[in-house]
Amino acid sequence: MFAELRQSIADWIFRATVPETPPVTLVQRRIFILPTRQGYVFALTLVVLLVASINYQLSLGFILTFLLASMAGVAMLHTWRNLAHLKLRPGRCDAVFAGETAHFGVTIETPALTRFAIAVRRQDEEPVYADVVAGETAAIGLPAHTRRRGVARCGRLEVFTRYPIGLFHAWSYVDFHLAVIVYPRPDPNAGTPPAQSRSASEEGIPIAGDEEFNMLRSYRAGDAPKLIAWKALAREQPLLTKEFSAMASSELWLDWEDARAADIEARLSVLAHWVLQAEQFGQSYGLRLPGTVIAPARGESHRTRCLEALALFQEPSP
Amino acid sequence: MSAVAIPASPHLDFRNLMWLLAAMAFVVAPHLTRMPYWVGVFFGVVVAWRAWISWAAVHFPPRLVTVALTVAATFGTYFTYGRLFGREAAVTLLVVMSALKLLEMRTQREVALAIYLGFFLVMTNFLFSQSIPLGLYMLACVWIFIATMVGFNRIGRPASLAERLRPAGALLVQALPLMVAFFILFPRTQAPLWALPQDARGSATGLSETMSPGNISNLIKSDAIAFRVQFDGDRPPYSTLYWRGPVLVDFDGVTWSMPQVVPMLSRLDYMRQGNLTSYTVTLEPHGKVWLFGLDAPASLPPNAYVLTDLELRDRRPVAERKRYEMSSYLDYRYGEHIPVYVRQSALRFEADRNPRAIALGRQWASETSDPRAILAKALTLYNREFTYTLEPPLLDARSPYDEFLFETKKGFCEHYAGSFALLMRAAGIPARVVTGYQGGEVNPYTNELIVRQADAHAWTEIWIAGEGWLRVDPTAAVSPLRVEGGVNAALGPIGVLPSLIAADRFGVLSSIRYAWQMLNGQWNEWVLGYNMDRQRQFFGNLGFRDIDWRTLGFWLMIATFVVGGAVSIGLLVRDRPRRIEPSLAAWNRFCAKLAAAGVARAPHEGPLDFLARVRSIRPQLAQAAQDITLRYVDARYGPGASRQAMKELERRVREFRAA
Repeated sequence: MFAELRQSIADWIFRATVPETPPVTLVQRRIFILPTRQGYVFALTLVVLLVASINYQLSLGFILTFLLASMAGVAMLHTWRNLAHLKLRPGRCDAVFAGETAHFGVTIETPALTRFAIAVRRQDEEPVYADVVAGETAAIGLPAHTRRRGVARCGRLEVFTRYPIGLFHAWSYVDFHLAVIVYPRPDPNAGTPPAQSRSASEEGIPIAGDEEFNMLRSYRAGDAPKLIAWKALAREQPLLTKEFSAMASSELWLDWEDARAADIEARLSVLAHWVLQAEQFGQSYGLRLPGTVIAPARGESHRTRCLEALALFQEPSP
Repeated sequence: MSAVAIPASPHLDFRNLMWLLAAMAFVVAPHLTRMPYWVGVFFGVVVAWRAWISWAAVHFPPRLVTVALTVAATFGTYFTYGRLFGREAAVTLLVVMSALKLLEMRTQREVALAIYLGFFLVMTNFLFSQSIPLGLYMLACVWIFIATMVGFNRIGRPASLAERLRPAGALLVQALPLMVAFFILFPRTQAPLWALPQDARGSATGLSETMSPGNISNLIKSDAIAFRVQFDGDRPPYSTLYWRGPVLVDFDGVTWSMPQVVPMLSRLDYMRQGNLTSYTVTLEPHGKVWLFGLDAPASLPPNAYVLTDLELRDRRPVAERKRYEMSSYLDYRYGEHIPVYVRQSALRFEADRNPRAIALGRQWASETSDPRAILAKALTLYNREFTYTLEPPLLDARSPYDEFLFETKKGFCEHYAGSFALLMRAAGIPARVVTGYQGGEVNPYTNELIVRQADAHAWTEIWIAGEGWLRVDPTAAVSPLRVEGGVNAALGPIGVLPSLIAADRFGVLSSIRYAWQMLNGQWNEWVLGYNMDRQRQFFGNLGFRDIDWRTLGFWLMIATFVVGGAVSIGLLVRDRPRRIEPSLAAWNRFCAKLAAAGVARAPHEGPLDFLARVRSIRPQLAQAAQDITLRYVDARYGPGASRQAMKELERRVREFRAA
């Protein structure tokens, strides 16, 4: 009940949902602090100790009680300052395929003091902890399991700490509107892209199958490692890339219409698989989706562009 | 990259666990010294078991085992003490239960509970002792407990020794000012909230209602202070310092005990009274109603009264240190006329016990009817054949005084007093045993007389018609030094006492001892004795008369704000980050000067771009501007400016004139 109350108070205070411009420094007015459940039990212990001291007229009992009570007050300050003035920035939010675990990245820096046991968590999730050392950047990745393709949003983050003695919970909210693009899960049964790709056959170049070795050309950045002619390299020749006949000159079009499957998601999975296949074999490929056409190319950024197009197909943009 | 997810093993981090177990063992250790052996063994085994569970990552004991252990520990406590309440039994139960709590503890939450239990165990130690050494020891224990809390609140890499002790120490040190404010200002109450359990406070040392051979010699081994006395004038001679305590009249052949009812003395006037001495006594709590004063009381402290056997009493048991002023006539004569029942009860004895002693007394009575002659015979007997020792042989349970008088002939004051009173009664002379303290020791720094448990003594009074009650100390007949110079003198230079007292009564150690006593005195007076009266006195001295709890509460709030605020400001200001780097501040000042001269830097303009523009617009400033800009770029983006370079930059900015 208390947690709910705390949540609703906090929600009321932090109504704003505009993304914040990084870096966010946790200044005084952003930090909230309340006793933990352990803190309340500690307070109860203090009451018992006080009553015992009064009843048995134990001066050292009074000293013990007051020392612990004052220490709890000081601990509140320490907990608060363990969070204060931390600087937060959005970190890496690498795209993943549906079904994989996405990581929402946040980096934390401290101006001077080393901060121990700083935790970051998404709502209703397990926190991730880090020690933040001055002069270093602590990178935190908040794991999130993805189920479907599209955009996984991180939501508001709670940065909190209970260090040094767990009696107080100091927290602050940060919302960078972190998002991870989730590609469709590739359909491993989709086979190879249909060989009848329109452009290739129109141009009359023979299609001799994917794996037929055709020629060697010099290496270009972005070529897949498995296409590198390692044997040639071993003979102290320059870095060469093997080319296969199917990719020799043709442009492969991965077409929505060709991906025969039950529904949209299944089609996207098929296309995702094809993109990976084509990229793997160094084929230059284009992507045709209803309303989107990506001209043939290849390489890491092209692959990313295609997969993003698949991920965001009929989705609101991130 | 240092992010980790939380570990949630019920075995807990081994190092953290060892800290907790060690802290618990430290705090329980003083208890174990006063508890039966099985408690220590039980605690040790259970704690070692818990450590092993974590170390070897084996299973926790099944529920049935912990329940069985709990039941066994409860029964063990019950069989040891015959009950489960009362100070010793309750603390024993708490100790064994805390061991079991440690055994089954698996979660962070239970760890916290165990630590709070540890704080409670610290408190229970104070029920037994509040001395300076124990206080410091317990402070160390609290420190270790808090260091343990710090360790458990670290996630990931385990904390080093310094990373535990430093933050914990900082917490405690920063808590001190507020603690002191609370200690001074928290309103104290007069009476306890509820009645004290019979033995909640230490009442172990001190005289009791009865005396049988052996119980005073146990007291003698304690150098705990019974009370301290400050005389208004000169200290009376040592041999007159008889501090009267319980008067024992009833006798069953072995044990002397206080009569059930003794009337109050209505007026303090005696047949002869002289040599009036005034003094102030600071009495340690002993849980009994009697107070101690010299014979015979002339004026009384408030709430005190005197019985017809001259015993001085308070209306309530002395549960706190008590300070009272009184005066006595050292030269007095009392009780010429006593009621028949008093005479009779002072003559009673069990005829079938100690038959040889009774026969001897009767024989003396048949030889002479002069009480003084009989008295002389008895004292001669003691003086000739008896030895004074603290380690008397064990005596027969049924007729101990026979065995003492005719066989062992070695004993301590209670043997002499008891056997002497019996001999007198057998000879037809009314006699009674008086217990109390004799003598004391003077602290040369404070000129106080310190009376210790070791000064406990037993003597007798006999009644002679026409003279009243006369004090006779048969121990003096055996060992006059006991009365002249105290126990240690009586026992000779080597002595049998285990304490410091024995070794070095007049030697080098005594100055250290007296200084320590003085510290202890201050501690007793201002820390342990800081009760309601003391609090009023303290504020009275400051000019606040008749302070009540409301006023104190008000000041407590003010103090909390002021002291707490000062500590927080000190703490938070210290580590507030510097808003602006000095080099940037200098650069900003430089830009402001140029802006005032009409060359404002655009927000997007980097330092070098700005410099290029300044050069083209104000060629006359080019040299100075370049100098400053390059220094700034070096300080801010280079590997870090030295203090020297920083100063130079600031100086040049200061001297820069744009106009």
